[in-house]
Amino acid sequence: MTASVHTAPGMAAPVSKSLWALGWQRLKRNKVGFVSLWVVALYLAIAIGGWFNLLGGGWSREIAVPYAPPSWAATAETEQLSSDVTASGGDASAPIVSLAPEDDPIGKELAAARKEAGKYALPEVDKRESLPFGADLRGRDVLEKTLKGTSTSIFVGVFGAVLAILLGTVMGAVSGYFGGRTDDCLTWFYSVFTSVPDMLLLLSFAAVSGRGVTTIIMVMALTSWTGTYRLVRAEYLKLKNREYVQAASAIGASHTRRMFVHILPNISHLLLVQFSLMTVALIKYEAILSFLGFGVGVRQVSLGSMLAEAPTELVQGYWWQMLAVTLAMSVLVTAFSLLVDALRDALDPKVK
Amino acid sequence: MSAYIIRRLLQMIPTLLGVMLLVFTLFTLVGGDPSYILAGKHLTADVLANIRAQLGLDKSLPEQFMIFVRQVLTLDFGTSWATQQPVSDIITSRIGPSLTLTGSLLVVDLLVAIPLAATVAYFRGGLTDRIVTIACTVAMSISALVYIIAGQYFLAYKLELFPVRGWSDSFLVNLLVYVPLPLLMGLMVSLGPDIRFYRSFFLEEMNHDYVRTARAKGLSERKVMLKHVLRNAMIPVVTTVMMSLPFMMIGALVLENFYGIPGMGNEVVLAVNKSDFPVIKAVTIYIAIATMVFNLLADLVYKLIDPRVQLK
Amino acid sequence: MSMKRHVAVALLAIGVGSTLHAADMNKVLHDSFIAPETGFDPAKVSDVYSSSVNENLFDPLLTYDYLARPAKLIPNTVTAMPDISADGKTVTMRIKPGIYFAPDPAFKGKKRELTAADYVYSFKRVADPLVGSPSSYLVRGKFVGLDELVAKAKGGRLDYDTPIEGLKALDRYTLQMKLVEPTPGLKYMLAMPHLSAVAREVIEAYGTNTNAHPVGTGPYMLAQWKPGTHISLVANPNFRKVVFNYTDNTTPVAHRVASEMNGKLMPQIGRIEISVIQEEQPRWLAFRSGQLDLVTVPQPAVRRALILDPKNPWRVALKPELKNKGVQFSRYLESEVTFYPFNMKHPVIGGLSKERIALRRAIAMSFNTRETISDIRRNQAVQVQSLIPANVAGHNPGMRVRHPYDPALANALLDRVGYRIGADGYRTQPDGKPLVIDFVTGPTAIDKQWNEYWQKAFDLIKIRVNFRVMQWNEQQKVIRECSYGMAGGAWLADYPDGDNFVMLLYGKNVGDSNYACYQSPRYDKLYEASQRLPDGPERDKLFDQMDLVASGETPWVYGDTRFKNYLSQRWVRGFVPHPVFNVAWRFIDIQK
Repeated sequence: MTASVHTAPGMAAPVSKSLWALGWQRLKRNKVGFVSLWVVALYLAIAIGGWFNLLGGGWSREIAVPYAPPSWAATAETEQLSSDVTASGGDASAPIVSLAPEDDPIGKELAAARKEAGKYALPEVDKRESLPFGADLRGRDVLEKTLKGTSTSIFVGVFGAVLAILLGTVMGAVSGYFGGRTDDCLTWFYSVFTSVPDMLLLLSFAAVSGRGVTTIIMVMALTSWTGTYRLVRAEYLKLKNREYVQAASAIGASHTRRMFVHILPNISHLLLVQFSLMTVALIKYEAILSFLGFGVGVRQVSLGSMLAEAPTELVQGYWWQMLAVTLAMSVLVTAFSLLVDALRDALDPKVK
Repeated sequence: MSAYIIRRLLQMIPTLLGVMLLVFTLFTLVGGDPSYILAGKHLTADVLANIRAQLGLDKSLPEQFMIFVRQVLTLDFGTSWATQQPVSDIITSRIGPSLTLTGSLLVVDLLVAIPLAATVAYFRGGLTDRIVTIACTVAMSISALVYIIAGQYFLAYKLELFPVRGWSDSFLVNLLVYVPLPLLMGLMVSLGPDIRFYRSFFLEEMNHDYVRTARAKGLSERKVMLKHVLRNAMIPVVTTVMMSLPFMMIGALVLENFYGIPGMGNEVVLAVNKSDFPVIKAVTIYIAIATMVFNLLADLVYKLIDPRVQLK
Repeated sequence: MSMKRHVAVALLAIGVGSTLHAADMNKVLHDSFIAPETGFDPAKVSDVYSSSVNENLFDPLLTYDYLARPAKLIPNTVTAMPDISADGKTVTMRIKPGIYFAPDPAFKGKKRELTAADYVYSFKRVADPLVGSPSSYLVRGKFVGLDELVAKAKGGRLDYDTPIEGLKALDRYTLQMKLVEPTPGLKYMLAMPHLSAVAREVIEAYGTNTNAHPVGTGPYMLAQWKPGTHISLVANPNFRKVVFNYTDNTTPVAHRVASEMNGKLMPQIGRIEISVIQEEQPRWLAFRSGQLDLVTVPQPAVRRALILDPKNPWRVALKPELKNKGVQFSRYLESEVTFYPFNMKHPVIGGLSKERIALRRAIAMSFNTRETISDIRRNQAVQVQSLIPANVAGHNPGMRVRHPYDPALANALLDRVGYRIGADGYRTQPDGKPLVIDFVTGPTAIDKQWNEYWQKAFDLIKIRVNFRVMQWNEQQKVIRECSYGMAGGAWLADYPDGDNFVMLLYGKNVGDSNYACYQSPRYDKLYEASQRLPDGPERDKLFDQMDLVASGETPWVYGDTRFKNYLSQRWVRGFVPHPVFNVAWRFIDIQK
């Protein structure tokens, strides 16, 4: 179904064909929208690059000292502890007692292993004092981290939106198309979900599931399908009685065919706008989720998980990670939002 | 009309039941076991058993659900498992601060957003419109967390314009001293989307044929805008605001945490972390009821303002 | 008994004088908690924050000297340290006359004096099944006849009116306890806030909501409580006359406190306002802007507040920027150990066979505590070297039983005992089955930060790890049920005695405080022998042997012991961190 959204210009009902082609022309004429399109495309390229570890793949390497400052903002502010400050405790006079090899249940194995340990010796790594955009607590490059994090966040946003739209569209289509008991049932489900505060749903889902990209996408889809459902249901209620649908039914098209081949293309422009809006919202949503602790797993990084580190860093005066994330995120979100505006204008059938 | 209202009220029953089932399933079957929190560091089997018996956790699930039903019918959710305080006390003490913040935020937001939205919609396509729209988009693109964290650090701590955090017992002191900074940060987050949203309502109205007709009739521009466009555009504004009201009860979690506002958002997280089921149940049910009632009210208001709307 | 000697060094003397003045209601102290409290019924709560408040509302029989280090017990509401019979089973104490409860409607306008019967009632109440006290372990099995009384209640209300042999008020002021067996640790328990005196009529008047109506004999009383956000205390007008009279002038700190406080009445500050501030940034900024009078430096702010010596965590100084503002700095090494228990009953990671010990040892050797101390703790911690931390009776400063960081040796050891690296680059069990360590952890951002370092450790020794995220209470559940692989743990001393730590590995405490589910015949034998001995070199020797056994069998990975860095504003007087008390409100003053 999502495929049909993206490849729609070449197929589907004639009504939408002209709309899509017209839309593309109008978009090209809108300067802001067109620039935004390129920015978003660039980000998507970064996302794909990050996905295949072409970009930011080495983000987890500890190449610098903890919180190494950006090279262009390095300051030599290091206060030295004056020598008259003495150790305020720690008794070093007591005789040392430790586990003798003969008392150790694995003393022999340990002694043997000690001879072979050489082959596992780790090379000493020189840690850098500064990096182009600074380092985080573990001395990882903020720039690489931001690239990789952007990739994860876009991935999460796009797939979360796809899943939410998928859920909302299928349920909304079924509900609006069939009506009656099916509609009552799904609408009931919808009103239950919208009556429970999102935060409660989110907290409870997150409390029981593991951490990672899959969980975030699931949580996002489960808490944000409702808007699409309402939209799609209303459209189907309106469109199911149109002549072309009735004509399709006369020639014996199945319900599924009528729902997804005949009606769906007519609302695909709405879904594209909805999808873009939701992607933007979910990228921001991910930041909040990470801040609350429900973010990506231990081996992953996202813009949200980086932002979650910001409060503790800012207190210490380490502002570069927050700045990098804020920049990366706001350029992406601004471009995406402006693109949505342009798309909406371009695809609005009312504007001639 | 009254038949419609009665039917809508009756429809709330199955929805409420659904909400109850959802919350019950989420927190009983998959949520945590609070007795491990209450039992402390040194727990023994009989201490645990005692606590479970006192919380009613040793009862069967259908029995526990029936207790829940009774609680909803009487709107008496008993006492919190964590602090043993009556749930009603907790909610009444928490809702005030939340509403003080979200309420004033809503008022200021509307006062700023609607005139701005109307103005830029009027000059649509012009330079003002473009600048405001893009500024809104940029403002929206920065995460709320950045506003909250950096706002506290720079405006309160570095520049000492506001207290870093705090809350008092006096409404006036709260409003004048403690609310302004979180309010400002809240505005930074909400103004962008709201101006854009309301602008679209105004644009929609201005595109209607009746506006052209009115202008053609020779009505003054002022009259067209104020009498026709503004009035009609207010309908979706009013209904969206009304539908957002129930969620004001739950407050703004991160704002509350950073600025020391003893509101509901804070309490909900606390309750989930401590598996304080009575509080969770109460909050969910109250919000669900409020959501349904305000949805109904929104529809009725819609009908009042615009008699053409058919209620079905 | 040695306890009697303590009587001579009483810190607080009763005195009279017309120039003395009681608490100034205009003096307000602002402090904060980093996590919410739960309530103020001493029998019902066990968390640090609730206990911090209860320390100031209620009176246990014994208390600690404010200045003596290591912590020293002194009489509180009793005239002298407990009188213990030769067989160690009968303990007698005399309550000081003239101690009154704070005013409360339950007393119907009368002044209510504290009597021996109040302690009898309060102790029985901790055992009451209906109260469900988390502190019941303190009294159960200790006093003659108490367990029988509890058994008779059959889960219902305890019959408080039936006298029992073990807890008796011989007259209005004389309290007698008969113990089932000699209990050297009893004195510490008598100083815990959970065994403070409550008044029966108050408890009965407030039914189940005793958490919100604490009425004690302590220096403060509860004025306002907004659960989870704010607590206000005011000076108790009925509080007995206690004059600060510190005679110990040996250390500079003691000298300072004595000169600041001597001659004043306890308490000096009229109101204590406590806010719960969970986020670190607002807590720190609130202190910096003067909204808080006291703060323990949050970890992220350490480098902003202190100048550190990266090589020696014991060397530290306050930054000039703060010093110039008159901010006072004091520091204390917590009586705690943090550790990572292995589930010793786990089919893959538990057991006492050589391979399993080697596996656990390798994991212990691959986690770099030095790095986490430097990065996460900001150098404000030292490595745990033995079961019993410093400042706790029985601690041996020469003990070095942690397994030093050495991932190369860990790898070689795993090769040696048959955990071979498979085709996918990860090790398998000796029988060829896959090896995945089940690591139970919490959902917060801080948990995630620690897990990053654990992931690194497991990567170094090529073992797969699966982080199982669950809420704190669910973690407790799987730990107590021994259905986990590894987890994180921390133990803060309930009282400053080594017994409180070595019991964490005693076989009979599985399901209770023995998180590792460790049952070692060698260890248990030593533990049981130590129980029969009083504090002294003989018991210390047994503690050392237990340390060595546990180190060899490796049920834990040793973590760190944190420093607490306290800052107080220029106007705070008489503040010094105490190893047992959670807060010092009643001992300090404000002079703006």
